Amino acid sequence: MAASSSAGRVLTLCKQFQNVMRICSAVKTQQHCAVNATQYLNRIYREKSTLAALSWCSPTSSLSQYRALHTTISRRGLEEFFDLPENWGETNVKSGAPWTAKHLRTKSNEDLHKLWYVLLKERNMLLTIQQEAKRQRVQMPSPERLRKIERSMIRLETVVTERETALRLLQTGQEKGRPGAWRRNLFGHVYWYRFKEYAIPWYMNKRYKRKKFYTPKFVQPHMRLRWENSLRNRIRRANLKKQKEAKLREKFPQMKVSSL
Amino acid sequence: MPVTRLLYPLYQLGNPQLRIFRPKWFLTLVRPGTELPPDTAQFRVPMEMTKYDIKNYLENIYNVPVGAVRTRIQYGSNKKRNHLNQKVKKPDYKVAYVQLAQGQAFTFPDIFPEKESKPEEGSVEEMQNKFMEDEKQRQKPDPRRGGVTEWFGL
Repeated sequence: MAASSSAGRVLTLCKQFQNVMRICSAVKTQQHCAVNATQYLNRIYREKSTLAALSWCSPTSSLSQYRALHTTISRRGLEEFFDLPENWGETNVKSGAPWTAKHLRTKSNEDLHKLWYVLLKERNMLLTIQQEAKRQRVQMPSPERLRKIERSMIRLETVVTERETALRLLQTGQEKGRPGAWRRNLFGHVYWYRFKEYAIPWYMNKRYKRKKFYTPKFVQPHMRLRWENSLRNRIRRANLKKQKEAKLREKFPQMKVSSL
Repeated sequence: MPVTRLLYPLYQLGNPQLRIFRPKWFLTLVRPGTELPPDTAQFRVPMEMTKYDIKNYLENIYNVPVGAVRTRIQYGSNKKRNHLNQKVKKPDYKVAYVQLAQGQAFTFPDIFPEKESKPEEGSVEEMQNKFMEDEKQRQKPDPRRGGVTEWFGL
């Protein structure tokens, strides 16, 4: 109880402090506006004051309102495309092992998506270093990091797709993300046709109806001929291999079969 | 990266905006070849990224205020020949010039500064260095002679 009450007191104190800060900043901006008003003409003042109010008031007030407690790392902006300054000029930089799929499976979906952005930033940084090293013709420090990042990103992707398929199987019973069916074309070939979304129903869709998903009767003998041809080719190839082996065995009786 | 062929649902009027959850676009910040204005950074971006994509990417992932983006496509040379005298094409890439907003400036830092490296104790390099220094000391002429050549004098 005591702990909770003390925490509550601290919170209220913080809130009060914040309010005071907000009022202070607002007063400051108002003062600035007032100074401007005395200096410039009326018309100019109107334009200037709106602009000034926008540029001065918005960052201070919005920041104090929405970002009372800042826990993430400080905003580095484009500096994030480079390594930490203490690693500049080092020949090798220490790095850990890539994330394993087993490890990633224990994480929640939100964590995985956060991790993706961390990996993305790291990879951008490494690509920048690699390009700069190529340009200056020096060796990149610890190039194995790129491979590690790639591997962990691939694993993360597989874990996320696993979850997606599991959810889809539960909800719709579809194994694939994009539904499809085995269809036959005009020449009797069977292939996996992937379904596509159309804005109009299929019987109104001229382009869809032009496609032929059937095999006419007169193609049957040609299909049979094709089948026979492929069979004959397969048999001929097998025979050729057998003859070759026999000839070699005649020549070199001590030869092992595995060396063929 | 395995390229997953994403099929977005057909857009109908009133549908929500399409969102990318795990972007597979990688940017490379490069040192500009010619001199650029101080508020401009040069990137190598994937071919399929648009100006708006670049702006959104930098603003949302990196928190960088972006003023304007200009892009061009760099043609990779097709002049090189391999050992079979076939033409070898270097891949094309897109170059983006990103102008920063709010009066921010950016200069490409020197990320490979010369650092003085001390060889480890007891290693071959250290012994070699020591030997070379001793030899140099031995080769120096006698300072007491004041620069007079060795063959002159008794």
